[in-house]
Amino acid sequence: MSYLDNIRNFSIIAHIDHGKSTLADRLIEKTGLVEARDMKEQYLDNMDIERERGITIKLQTTRLQYKAKDGQEYILNLIDTPGHVDFNYEVSRSLAACDGAVLVVDATQGVEAQTLGNVYLALDEDLEIMPVLNKMDLDSARPADARAEIEDIIGLDASEAPEISAKTGMGIDDMLEKLVEVIPPPQGDPDGKLKALIFDSYYDSYKGVIIYTRIFDGRVRKGDMIRMMNAGKNYEVTEVGYCIPGTVPADELKAGEVGYICGSIKQVADARVGDTITLANDPTEEPLKGYKKAQSMVYCGIFPAEGEKYENVKDALEKLQVNDAAFNFEPENSAALGYGYRCGFLGLLHMDVITERLAREFDLDIITTLPSVVYKVVMKDGSVLDIQNPSNLPEPALIAHIEEPIVKADIMTPNDYVGSIMTLCQNRRGKMVHMEYLTKTRVQLHYEIPLNEVIYDFFDALKSRTRGYASLDYEFLRYQPAKLVKLDILLNREQIDALSTIVPEEEAMAKGRGICEKLKEIIPRHQFEVPIQAAIGQKIIARETVRAYRKDVLAKCYGGDITRKKKLLEKQKAGKKRMRQFGQVTVPQEAFTEVLKLDDGK
Amino acid sequence: MTKRTGLYIHIPFCVKKCNYCAFLSFNAETSPRREYADALVSEIALRGEELGHPVIDTVYVGGGTPSVLDISQMRDIMHAVGKSFSVKEGAEITIEANPATLGRKDGVTLAKLQAYKYMGFNRLSMGVQSMDNDRLHCLGRIHTAENVVRDMELIRRKGFDNVNLDLMFSIPGETTRDALDDLRKVLELAPEHISCYSLQIEEGTPFGDMAVAGELTEVPDEEDRETYHEICRVLREAGYEHYEISNFARKGAEDPDGPSPYRSRHNSLYWDMSDYIGVGLGASGFTGGRRYKNTSDIEEYINALTVPPIHEGARVKVPLEEDHLNDGFDNISEAVFTGLRRREGIRYADAVDAYMRRAGGSTAAGPKEEFWRIFSEAKEEAEDYARQGLLIIDDEGLRLTEQGIDISNQIMSLFV
Repeated sequence: MSYLDNIRNFSIIAHIDHGKSTLADRLIEKTGLVEARDMKEQYLDNMDIERERGITIKLQTTRLQYKAKDGQEYILNLIDTPGHVDFNYEVSRSLAACDGAVLVVDATQGVEAQTLGNVYLALDEDLEIMPVLNKMDLDSARPADARAEIEDIIGLDASEAPEISAKTGMGIDDMLEKLVEVIPPPQGDPDGKLKALIFDSYYDSYKGVIIYTRIFDGRVRKGDMIRMMNAGKNYEVTEVGYCIPGTVPADELKAGEVGYICGSIKQVADARVGDTITLANDPTEEPLKGYKKAQSMVYCGIFPAEGEKYENVKDALEKLQVNDAAFNFEPENSAALGYGYRCGFLGLLHMDVITERLAREFDLDIITTLPSVVYKVVMKDGSVLDIQNPSNLPEPALIAHIEEPIVKADIMTPNDYVGSIMTLCQNRRGKMVHMEYLTKTRVQLHYEIPLNEVIYDFFDALKSRTRGYASLDYEFLRYQPAKLVKLDILLNREQIDALSTIVPEEEAMAKGRGICEKLKEIIPRHQFEVPIQAAIGQKIIARETVRAYRKDVLAKCYGGDITRKKKLLEKQKAGKKRMRQFGQVTVPQEAFTEVLKLDDGK
Repeated sequence: MTKRTGLYIHIPFCVKKCNYCAFLSFNAETSPRREYADALVSEIALRGEELGHPVIDTVYVGGGTPSVLDISQMRDIMHAVGKSFSVKEGAEITIEANPATLGRKDGVTLAKLQAYKYMGFNRLSMGVQSMDNDRLHCLGRIHTAENVVRDMELIRRKGFDNVNLDLMFSIPGETTRDALDDLRKVLELAPEHISCYSLQIEEGTPFGDMAVAGELTEVPDEEDRETYHEICRVLREAGYEHYEISNFARKGAEDPDGPSPYRSRHNSLYWDMSDYIGVGLGASGFTGGRRYKNTSDIEEYINALTVPPIHEGARVKVPLEEDHLNDGFDNISEAVFTGLRRREGIRYADAVDAYMRRAGGSTAAGPKEEFWRIFSEAKEEAEDYARQGLLIIDDEGLRLTEQGIDISNQIMSLFV
């Protein structure tokens, strides 16, 4: 019997909120790696933002030891996957490192669009999938319905799916027994040529980049010279080991095992997820399949706010990039906001995470501009430009036509909400491709929607219209010609480039009006009237006015309480710091991100 | 400038709290007034001793409504002042009074006024607020316009020749015309000094709650400012000097072009970084470069000052809720934003002097250069305000224009 028979490499697939992280916590606790008293809630989600939102973005991986009822000791490598549509590629690479997956279905909610999306990714990797029904401690659990849904919608046999509660620990032992039985052991030749998959990496200030890897063939030790086959770079291994969690050094990693490798690698971009590691002097012939370069789908400008240093922003962006291969940036100069950076993200959540981290971890005062997608601008001379910054859109006279990215959006919903979802999608220029009844009460809608319409507040609007019941999965489909124009905003008759957007011609009027109204709410009163105008080219299409501020005076200082007065003035000064000055007009920073949140559901 | 010192005594009791009032004040009927007066007496003694019985130029008894205290209580307090401080000959000694609180229930008003004279008060400040009974009712005041006229007559009869009347404008529903009507009626009483305040709606007051609930017809900013400038004009024409944002003093007969002799000397201390000693609940003081504020907890205050310390020889201490030693920047910053309240504004020399007092050292550069070195970040915006005609910057110093007063907080906030 080979050592391989006692290894199980698996992931947990679940929709956001269905309890993946809680289950991971329970497994870690059950297998005794972390003392119960040291358990933080949701051990694997170690970023604050993730914890707050209850979602996992960054992968963590953990080696568990489990003594089964057959008396055998098993190594269970739990490879966690991120739970958001922005990270599909990362999910697929994590799954590629596994031999099976535990599919967690919330017994109170049933199957969701994203669950389905991730199950398909797992099936594509030929994984054995073991469904489990979670949240069985709740009165609203309906396991029979959930089983039926798993069979009807996904097509998996759920008759033997363990019923568990990750929260209370109920059924976890049975689940582990079942896991060892259902999920196959890894295969591989420890004496073959090294072939290892990078499924995650992060930067450690002492060890450099720490690569999480699954070894498919061969073995790797300290001192080996390894090569990243796609990146084409060589590094000397300084340490290998297991993640228990954390990093615990070992002599070697061999076929079938999951662990980490360090090699004085400077940034995670050099150890890109999906790349294949082999030995430089004895390489395997073929890299593993499925490697993709990270592609930014959404862009926005990040600028230092008044009083913040450009260098601080640069340092922080560089530090974040070291740890995030999917995030990229380049310098940008805005007439309104000065020097800053144009940053590319996988999607909107990815953008939120990065901007929040800049504010929180680096304590930076930044202004983020409206998110934008990449447009393909076909010029009359036949050349094609990629434009992701509305300010860079060439003169309309030079443009033959513009193409915008379209995504394929799958929305799963209880049938009661089909009507309002269809209205929402229609308002967002969506085209319905297909609608199917998955069960009597559950519907999946397939839409093609311009990505531009999804990146602002589509997800929020969807959730609010369906009381949170609908779920969304989307992926890039193609570029498609569209009638688009650049909408400019003028404050006090001065154009503010950072507020320009690219919008469909037919919606320009409504959007312009909406933005003007919103800015009127956001911009504080000044000592003079501030006209807000929306324009296409030279033509003004909407106008609002911020009335002048007439009074800002403290009539009386009570009994010489100078300190109270001083605090008021200091507060006023601090408030002003968070504003941005344009000529005579002061604009609060949120203006740049809030203006386009015009929920049409209201 | 010769520095003067003032003494402020706080009386936190009122017959009834007004609808706009966010200040520390308790119901006079149900509060321990006697105990509070005793505590004040002991704090006055304590502060006098601590500071070495200094010479003081002004005494100001404010509130609340100081005139709700019994004559005997007020007498004890003023007696303590005389024992612990050397009150200068000719000092300005003010008491705040509200109409309809000067009389005892039997109607003997003159006795209280006479007693104030004996205690040394030579200036009276009365909270008139409005001369319209509906608006007085709206504010939650206990008096009527008729009370004001009668009290003023008695005040004059008792020989008080330095009287301030407080007037409020932008009362909910009030027009500019209404406010000027009030002002005209106040002018008929010929006070030496008038304070005109724009009503501020504060959180946690009945007005504040009504505003949140949308039940208050607030006067729009535009109209409020129109009223203010009209008031300034009318008072100027009536021979009053507009010497501070909200304060007007009748010009002296002898020197109508010089500063009015009726300016509030005590309040002026707050605007030129002079020392003032605050005593009483929640009172603020500025002595020896230190800003302090007494506790606002009345029980704690009374206990600390009236219950003898357990250990013999242990010193009684006034509980403070704030105690801050100003640094040089604190000083210059406060000198600027308090000084800008005065129409004559600030002089670079005085502001820099306040800075040097704490920061120490001396400078080869002139005060103007030194001032703008300290506030180099504010300079550009200040010059912007000057271009807009809101601030006057010259070689001697800074001052607000009448238009600049409207947004004075914005200008002042450049210097904090």
